[in-house]
Parts: sequence; structure tokens; C-alpha cells
Amino acid sequence: MGRMTFVFRRLLQLIPVAIGVTILVFFMIHLIPGDPARTILGIHATPRTVALLHQQWGLNRPLISQYWLFLDRLLHGNLGVSLYYGGSAVSLIISHLPPTLWLIIYSSVLAVLISVPLAMIAASRKDGARDQVVRAVPLIGLGMPPFWLAFLLIYAFAIKFHMFPVSGWGSGFFGHLRSMFLPSLTVALALAPVVIRSLRASMLNVLGAEFVTTARSKGIAGRRLFLRHVLRNAVIPAVTVLGINIGFLIGGTVIIENVFAIPGLGQLMINSIFQRDFTVVQGVTLVFAIMVILLNLAADVAYASLDPRVRFSR
Amino acid sequence: MTYRTTAAQALIAVGALTVLAACGGSSSSSSGSSSGSTAGGAVHGGNLVIARTADSQSMNNTTVFDNESIWIFEQIMQPLYTVTPNGKGVMPWLATSYTVSPDKKTYTFTLRKGVKFSNGKPMTSADVKFSIDQASAAAKGWGYINTAIKSVSAPSADTVAVHLKYPWAPLLADLSLFSNAIVPANYGGQTENQFYQHPIGTGPFKWDYWHKGSALKLVRNPYFWQKGKPYLDSVTWTNVPSDNTRELQLKGGQAQVDEFPAWSTVSSLKATSGVTMNLFNSTRTDYLAFNEKAKPFGDVHVRRAISFAINRAALVKAVLFGNGHPANSLFPPQVPYYQPATKGLQYNLAAAKAEMAKSSVPHGFTTTILVSSGFSDSLTIATILQSELKPLGITLKIQTLDPNTANLNQQSLKYDMTLTYWTMDIPDPDELATFAVDPNSGAKSFFTAYNNPTVVKATHQAEQTLTTTARQALYNTVQSGSAADAFMAFLYYSPYAYATTSSVHGFFVTPLGNYHMENVWLSK
Repeated sequence: MGRMTFVFRRLLQLIPVAIGVTILVFFMIHLIPGDPARTILGIHATPRTVALLHQQWGLNRPLISQYWLFLDRLLHGNLGVSLYYGGSAVSLIISHLPPTLWLIIYSSVLAVLISVPLAMIAASRKDGARDQVVRAVPLIGLGMPPFWLAFLLIYAFAIKFHMFPVSGWGSGFFGHLRSMFLPSLTVALALAPVVIRSLRASMLNVLGAEFVTTARSKGIAGRRLFLRHVLRNAVIPAVTVLGINIGFLIGGTVIIENVFAIPGLGQLMINSIFQRDFTVVQGVTLVFAIMVILLNLAADVAYASLDPRVRFSR
Repeated sequence: MTYRTTAAQALIAVGALTVLAACGGSSSSSSGSSSGSTAGGAVHGGNLVIARTADSQSMNNTTVFDNESIWIFEQIMQPLYTVTPNGKGVMPWLATSYTVSPDKKTYTFTLRKGVKFSNGKPMTSADVKFSIDQASAAAKGWGYINTAIKSVSAPSADTVAVHLKYPWAPLLADLSLFSNAIVPANYGGQTENQFYQHPIGTGPFKWDYWHKGSALKLVRNPYFWQKGKPYLDSVTWTNVPSDNTRELQLKGGQAQVDEFPAWSTVSSLKATSGVTMNLFNSTRTDYLAFNEKAKPFGDVHVRRAISFAINRAALVKAVLFGNGHPANSLFPPQVPYYQPATKGLQYNLAAAKAEMAKSSVPHGFTTTILVSSGFSDSLTIATILQSELKPLGITLKIQTLDPNTANLNQQSLKYDMTLTYWTMDIPDPDELATFAVDPNSGAKSFFTAYNNPTVVKATHQAEQTLTTTARQALYNTVQSGSAADAFMAFLYYSPYAYATTSSVHGFFVTPLGNYHMENVWLSK
């Protein structure tokens, strides 16, 4: 089975998941106590406006046909109208997507840049002093609440030493690179300990394997041995761990974006909740769910690229 | 309108009250350390960044109720009269003077000469007529403010006549409301919807961009009618919902104004060098409302007993960290005709017990206070009330509901007690008085079903009484009557908190909440 077939099969398997997500998101609007139209219109509700909204949302139809209507609109890229701003919810979501994608990718890259060298250092002297330090110190990052860590980083790098802006997401590629560093580092520091531990453990496993002994006997040692032979074989469990944690991270961006005032999807989600903008909340939930699904797919594809056995065993 | 339940508070995040009338006048600081005046030393240039708690909703000044929109479009569009800095009167703005007909039903305004819109076209009486007509027609918005207006005519290019249905005391105050701000006739050939995507006005700033959910920017209007103003090249409002982040942005120099720092941080900000902590007098008043349709709150003695039992000074300390004052009247001190002599029912446990003894429930009862979830101040107040009402034998249960449901329950009188508040939109008590005490207004007496015919009559008489002393007497009746009836317990008055960097000068907020960015400048 080739790589494309594998990816295609994984995509097919995602369809039921996606359907489940749409059902959940669809029913969100029905979780609002009372009549959602009346609730949303609040003090300005008149029988006419309520009826109008019912019709607009199809709330006066049977539930199942409402769901079909929702799916139909969804497939046409229509998530409805933002109740707060009055404009299209899709364009609002699209304009908030780039900062969140930046945050996720940037923090994943930083997490890898932090984890790989540290895991190698730790694994190179099992139970030695540097191993103990590498295993213990990053746990502080894991234990600290992200918003607290964020404020410490802001205080140190933005207020004391003006190296980075306090918050926001800057303009232009380099502006983003600079502004998004602290938020991404905050996330990466929480992500790194888990990755380091799993990478270290699997490196130690690999170090005991026969092919490493063979490699050593052929005179390969040091950095070359680690990078070419150990890391490549040890990285798969770490990719799994990273993949799962980035999934959690998508939820976590809500907090980080709030602290760093980044105009991303998390911020949009919170504001929309406060503004009773249910259509946007629905839309963002859907986008978050799709992101998690795609991320899982990306992790699967990454295994397949790293380890040919994955492609053939399924 | 300006009332919001605590429910709505949660929604608009940190107390973004629906508020204010037009703009306040000249610049000076009220309490707190002064950020300097515009006189002398003012320099031109710079972009000022205001970090605010929430985003705007729309720029349509005739329909939008949220402050975060109002405070911005007030920099773009201006009314004929504007609120004075003390919030108690109006001063000429796009009009310079007026005359009144002998029957007091026609006001003729002379327009200011040389006023141009930000597109360079001169403002004429046709624009004024169009604007006020649009405001009056805004049935879903602020149209009710203009109910006394029969029609508007434009006798000449620089005069406008407003014809009333009956003599109407609050007319100038009504015309100073932002909903009556002047826009080009027929929206300059655009549809209403197109126009408000990038509105045009006579104000100190004009439209640049709005990235919804993140930032809104206005730039200097070169045609502004006040010579030499505005000082700033541009003003950007950024959305920073986190209190901590706004404070850090201020300290890190990324923002120059922090809108509404948390009360708990006010004293530390006062002590921070490079930061000016301003507490501007406001018209915000917080109330405990009783539903008179729910037993036993129809009994005046029960309401009076509870009102006597509340230690308002303790609430100010716990909720506002001391940055406020106990309330004595339905009206706050910054409202015209406020009566300081109305003592209200202040904390007095003996009097509270005496009232309880006279009531239908002398041994106490069990009741609930409706609080919307996610708003910690309301929960603090409810918890304090729980212990303060115990000595009266009242067992108070806290009912926490999501903001939407709490709001609906309040409006449909499905509650026993709840917390609510008001801020003024116009520099005249009429809007508040009608909303609060008239059971036949849409608000059913602030959603309490309170009905005291004497108070209601005085409220409506005051609308058509044109002499100051006579109006004062009527509003004294409204204030003392509503205090004695304790239809709501008046809790406290709180200021508007704005922290700025010390490079900001001339930033001043009127008691109605509006500010004039044309007076603000940044020192290098």
C-alpha cells in the first residue's frame, strides 16, 4: 500500500468523525435555555423579529430538516451571519485563523527545537547528572499554569528587557515572528517536558538495539550515531505525543490568545460567547474540531513518512 | 438605554455600560492625579493606542447601545449641542445659539459657520434635518429619545427649526445625544448600511479601518472646525480583554490608555511611576431591585427593612476596593436636579428591625437573589447581602443563572431580588426617571412593577415644566418618594477608571462616559 492510499484511507475514516462533530455543533444552538431567538434578541425582542429569526434559522421546521439545512449551508461554506457584527461569520473566522495557525506551528517548532537536543543530552548519559537535570527542570514548565508562565515571560522579556512586544501579533512576517515568540514559547515550554521524556525513553530503547551496536562496531559514534540512527528510530513515539498534545493545545490557545491579546480564533471564541454571538461560536467550534482532525491526520502521515512499516501494516 | 442588568454586564465584559450623550467639553482631570491640560505646551503628532475591554458592535449612531461603539463614533460624528464637562448641562457645538417661540414649541437653531465634513463638503441645514429625522425614525434604537419632536425644518442654509408636539424641557439634552449627531444628507448618496461601514462626520477624526475583533483606527480629520485640533495624527483602539494584559501593555509602552483597570489594581497603579491613574466622576449607580409582584416585596416595610440593613460602605470596600461612594438617591450626584438632602435609607440595623416588625413577615422569610453567572462582583454583593439579612430572619438563597436567562427573568419579573445598574445617556434626569418609576413605560419601573402615582405624576410634569426651580421641586418629589418607598435599594456610585501613561495629556471623561480625543496630546 502506497503512501497516498494510506492517506486516502485515513481521510475516509475521518468522515464519520466529521459527521459526529457537525451533529454536536448543530445541537449547541438547542442547548441555549428557552427560545434561542428570544434569548438572542433580548430586550429588543418583538414577536415580528422573533418570527423572522425563527424563519432565518429554520427553527420552525422539524429537527431533522433543520440539520439538513445546516449541513447544506455548511457544504456551501455558509456558517450564517454574525449576530453581533451583522457580517458573514465565515469571513470573521477566516480573518482570525492566521494568528492561531501561527501560534500552533510556531510553538510546535519551538517545542521540537527545545526537546530534541535536550532529549539527546539526557539519553547520552543515562542517570547521569545532566540526565537528571534535563528530566527535572522542564517539569517546572509543565507544572506552571500557562497564563502565569506567560506573565513571567512578558515581565522578563518585554517589560524589563524590551526584547519583545508585550502582546499583540505584529504586522508582516518578521513582525509576527517577533510578536509571536513569547506566546509560542509559553506553549512550547508546556509542551516540551512531555516530548523530552518520551523521546529520551525511546532513545534509550533504541540505544540498546542490535543495529546500534552494529553501527558502533563500524566506528560510527557521537552526534552522527544519534542523528542518523538513534533519533530517526526513536522519534515515532514522540511524534504521537506531540500530535496529541497539539490537539490539546488548540483548546489551550484560548487562554494564551487572551493573555497575549492575539486576535486569533480563541479570542474570537471568548468574545463571541460574551457577545452572545452563537453563530460564530458554532463556527469556531467547528473549525477547532476540523483542526484537531487534520492534525491527527498529519501525525499519521508523519509516521508513514518516518517509518515505512506503518504504511504496510494497515 | 442605559440600564443593564448584571446579566448584561457579564456580556459586555468589564462594565461597558450603555451610555452617554454627546461629548464633554474642555479638558481637565477630575479626581486622581491630573493628566494635564491642553493649554500650553501641547504638541502635534503621534498615534495614541487605547487598550479596551471589548470590541465595538457597529458605527450606526442611531441604533447602537454599546459604549465601545459610542465612544468611537463620537470622535467622528457630532451633535448640535454637547455635554458640559461636569455632565450637568449642554454647550453649543455644531449649533451656536437658538431661539424659542412664545408657545415654547419651536426651537430655531443657528448653525456654526465654516463646519465641514471630513470629505471637505460644508455642513448645511439639510444635513441636520436629515440626521435628526433619521434618529427620530430609529424605532429599534434611540428613536424614543426624540418622541417630543413633531418635525424638523430647514428655513435657511444655516438655520434649523425643531417643532415639538408639546413644550419639552429636556430638548437640548436630547439633541446632545450621539443619536442626534450630524451626518451628510442622504448619507452622501450611499445606503444607510454602506454609510456606516465607514461613516463621515464633522468630528476631529475620520475613518481608517476596523479589523473586527482586534483593532479600530481613526485618523486626523484635516477639515475639523476647531483650529489647530486635533493634536494626534491617529487613535487606535485595540481589544485586550485581559485586565492584566492591558496593564502590562501600558507599562511596556504598547498602549497609552488602559480602559477600566481592575478595581483591585487601582491603588498599585496610582503608585506606579510613569502611569497616571484617573478616576473620573461618573453617573454609574448600582441598585438592588425588588420585584413587587413577588411576595413579600409588595410590602413597603420589607423593602425598607432590607434597604436599612445594607452596609453600603462595606460594599464599596469589598467590591470597588474603596473607589466609590454609598448611594443615597435614585439619581447620582452628577445628574442635574440630584438632591443631596435625600438621605435615602442608610445602614441602620435598629431601623431595619423596626421595619421588619411592622411588616407582614415580622419573623422573616426565605427568598432568592438572582445573579448572573460569570460576574464576580455580583456574587460578592450577593454573598455580603446573605449575611447582612440574617439578623432580620431573612434566609437569602443565591440563584445563579446564565446571563441570558437571568436577563430574561428580570425583564419578565421572574425573580425576587436582583442586582442592576444605570448610567446616564443625556444630561437630564428625564430618561432615567421615566425608565425607573413609570410602570407604563416599556421598562415597568426598572422591571420592579413599582407604582407610586405621586412620583409618576411628578416625573411627567417635570418633562413639560420649563423653569429650573419648579423642575427641581418635582425631581425632589421623585427622589424622596422613591427613596422612602425603597422600590430599589440604592447601593453605590462608582467612578470611571482609566490608567494612562504620563505622556498622555488632556484625556478627560465626562460623567456620562464620553471623551474628546481632539483635546488629547502626547508628549515626546
